[in-house]
Amino acid sequence: MFSVDVKMALRNVWRNPRRSILTILAIAFASLLLVFMLSWQFGSYDTMINSAVKIHTGHLQVQAKGYQDKKNIRLVVSDPATVGSVLEEIPAVAAYTFRTNAFSLVSSRERTYGAVVIGIDPEKEAKVSNLERLIRQGSYLSADDSDQALAGKLLVANLQVGLGDELVVLGQGRDGSIAATVVKVKGIFSSGQDEFDRSTIHIPLRYFQDVYAMQGTVHEVVALGKSLEYVSEIRSRVEDDIKKMEKNEHLVVLDWMELMPGLIQAIQMDLVSGFIFYIILIVVVAFSILNTFLMAIFERTREFGVLMAVGAPPHRLTKLLLIESGSMTMVGIVIGIIAGSLITWYFQVHGIVISGSSELMRHYGLPERMFPQLSALSVSIGAGLVLVITFLTALYPALKVRRLRPVQAMMGV
Amino acid sequence: MTKKPILALCMTLLISAGPSVDANGQDAQAVVEASVDYYRGKASIALVDMIIHRPHWERTVTIKAWTKGQKDSIFTIIAPPRDNGNGTLKRGREMWMYNPKVNRVIKLPPSMMSQAWMGSDFSNNDLAKSDSILEDYAHTIVGIETHDGKKVHVIESVPKPEAPVVWGMQRLKIREDHILLSQEFYDEDLELVKAMTGRQIQMLGGKLFPKVWKMQRADMKDEYTLLEYKELTFKKDLPDSLFTLSALRNPRR
Repeated sequence: MFSVDVKMALRNVWRNPRRSILTILAIAFASLLLVFMLSWQFGSYDTMINSAVKIHTGHLQVQAKGYQDKKNIRLVVSDPATVGSVLEEIPAVAAYTFRTNAFSLVSSRERTYGAVVIGIDPEKEAKVSNLERLIRQGSYLSADDSDQALAGKLLVANLQVGLGDELVVLGQGRDGSIAATVVKVKGIFSSGQDEFDRSTIHIPLRYFQDVYAMQGTVHEVVALGKSLEYVSEIRSRVEDDIKKMEKNEHLVVLDWMELMPGLIQAIQMDLVSGFIFYIILIVVVAFSILNTFLMAIFERTREFGVLMAVGAPPHRLTKLLLIESGSMTMVGIVIGIIAGSLITWYFQVHGIVISGSSELMRHYGLPERMFPQLSALSVSIGAGLVLVITFLTALYPALKVRRLRPVQAMMGV
Repeated sequence: MTKKPILALCMTLLISAGPSVDANGQDAQAVVEASVDYYRGKASIALVDMIIHRPHWERTVTIKAWTKGQKDSIFTIIAPPRDNGNGTLKRGREMWMYNPKVNRVIKLPPSMMSQAWMGSDFSNNDLAKSDSILEDYAHTIVGIETHDGKKVHVIESVPKPEAPVVWGMQRLKIREDHILLSQEFYDEDLELVKAMTGRQIQMLGGKLFPKVWKMQRADMKDEYTLLEYKELTFKKDLPDSLFTLSALRNPRR
């Protein structure tokens, strides 16, 4: 069944079980750790993106060209209904909504702050963003509300107002006129994202359009895909459909990466620091494996000398050693992948609670409980890395053996 | 005995010759002060059209303005009708805004002072710190030009250390008859940010005065704001009660 070389190699491995098992365990542990860590990283990115997207930006938005940079109230989507009907026809779109924004003065009796007043369609908004679930006090807007507002927790604290109190809003309408109104605080939300909680209030879309003289236009059409993978597909379809329509040439489609460039930078930074850690881990493992492999050869110099003396050519010894190390590596990696996947899967179901999460995570409104995400990619990257590194490490002793001379070797240990 | 007068003479020469820059600075300061006094007067009442020009639209707001000394002023919008009655009160460096529709007065927080005033190219700071050019800047005459046969001082004004200002430098052109022709605002890197220029110098309220002021950002070619004086009267004094929050609330003037 097996060739002589394979049989010899397996016997050699089993001749010093303790050393072999330790080597296998080192390899297994390294791949276990990599599987878990990578799944964890990918999972946390998914959570980060999804929760950031759900707080505000959505997966993608249709805006007038230049609006994202300038936030100029005059740059509008003039016919939101047609963009809406385009989105409705795409099956991968889970929900969409319209929004308007205006930077304004928001004032209580005592204090005044600058804030972004956001007009939302209460029913559609609830399907796209988490706003309704983020209400901590009071209640969410209903469809027929007019001069009611949802205000961020930090803004409310800064303004020293509570539920039912009046806020004066003073800004500038789309036609340059002065937009002023008084709204009552109906609900207070807290997203955990400080910037959002400190500087936004939400009022009903129709009321906003009235106060700011928007004449039925909006600034953003916000869409949420069924999941993150569909984003690029939806994007290209919307772009095509919009190009076909007249009077809509000034519209652009932006995805979450363009809407939140900071988030993708944070992910990239985290990936880089993660990979530095993995490289250190792999180097440590590689040295311990190199050590065991080298020791094996030093111990067996005499044995190799005899083999050569009875006629084994050096390349056959190399092959023998590679089969030995290769079989140990394979066993180690398989054990590592299985154990790593089991552990990851356990946490994928139950989640891991992070108490006192860092400033960065809070900034993107991450939940306390994080879930690693087991995927073909997270399993194969780690295992593949370990495989490559151990093979390279095993090459050194396997090639070194070719330089042995039979007579000197037999007189050795 | 004979030596002393000579010594005294030498010292006077030294003192007067040494700080020639200071003399320039004092001259420049005097020129700027005279100019500010000239255009603010002791008190004034004006009717101004503010034209905000943008690439695809334009908007005209008619404003009635009262000023007193260098610190106090009050503005009320009288047209278009939709904005009628909106007011801005400035006392010292503080500003309040009033809106008749909601019948509230809002005090502008410091964080909002660099925002545009009424959507124009003037910032709240431009209004609130109109006296800042005298108090916060050190002036130097850097050149003399001739415009329409009249001598014009070109003055560079650099903020004094620790002055609470946003500009890195201002550059003024003041005609010898105290008329401010232009005021340029530079950032800390001494890049031009925006410029205000006066045009159509004519008799207004009993003195020569640029009838039209244009404020334009350096990076915006087709965006600017024009202030066009329709009426201008200089007064010896205006009552203090005109520059109060209750006057802002009840524009019965």
